[in-house]
Amino acid sequence: FPPTFEAVPRNPIVLDLAYNCVEFPSLESRMKKDKKGFISRLWR
Amino acid sequence: MAPKPKDKPKPSPSPSQPPPPIEDLFTSLNKHIQRSEYKQAVKVADQVLGIAPGDEDAIRCKVVALIKGDSIEDALTTIQSARNLPTDFSFFKAYCLYRQNKLDEALDSLKSKERSTPTMLLESQILYRQGKMDACADIYQKLQKSNVESLEINAVASLVAGGRASEVQGTLD
Repeated sequence: FPPTFEAVPRNPIVLDLAYNCVEFPSLESRMKKDKKGFISRLWR
Repeated sequence: MAPKPKDKPKPSPSPSQPPPPIEDLFTSLNKHIQRSEYKQAVKVADQVLGIAPGDEDAIRCKVVALIKGDSIEDALTTIQSARNLPTDFSFFKAYCLYRQNKLDEALDSLKSKERSTPTMLLESQILYRQGKMDACADIYQKLQKSNVESLEINAVASLVAGGRASEVQGTLD
């Protein structure tokens, strides 16, 4: 005593890489058109 | 004579005001997505769907937000309710089933899809859980050139769990 340290096998790590492929669609074309329009309206 | 704008205050919004324009809703939806506020994203997506039932972007956002917010069961219900739409939800459905450990059903849902990096990643993870390490390792082998970040972690796991630890070094080189 104390017992000596020894290596023990462990389960390998697996990551959920598919999670990163669950992606939102691009909403660019669905949003209000460019903010630049608002600024230029101020200066018209 | 036209009244001065100053003299004409805008009427305060009545309770039965019209819904906000759909572009505004999408702007707000996008903001919540950027901030990872998935519960609010679902709410706004529902608002869009209240105005435009069947809007594919909104349903897709709702499904993804539910998955990212860990509401897997609700995501499946939403996918089920959208089955008449042309959008293909089979990858999302397969992912949800995988999360619920319904592995055979998950594989079934993937079958209809063309093979791509996402479907292969998911398939290999399902195979891993099913203990089919050789089939799993095969897929990682095929994906090696795909530049998926951290892929080697899962590839090594499939080799080690499949009793092929001696091949790990060769795979990493």
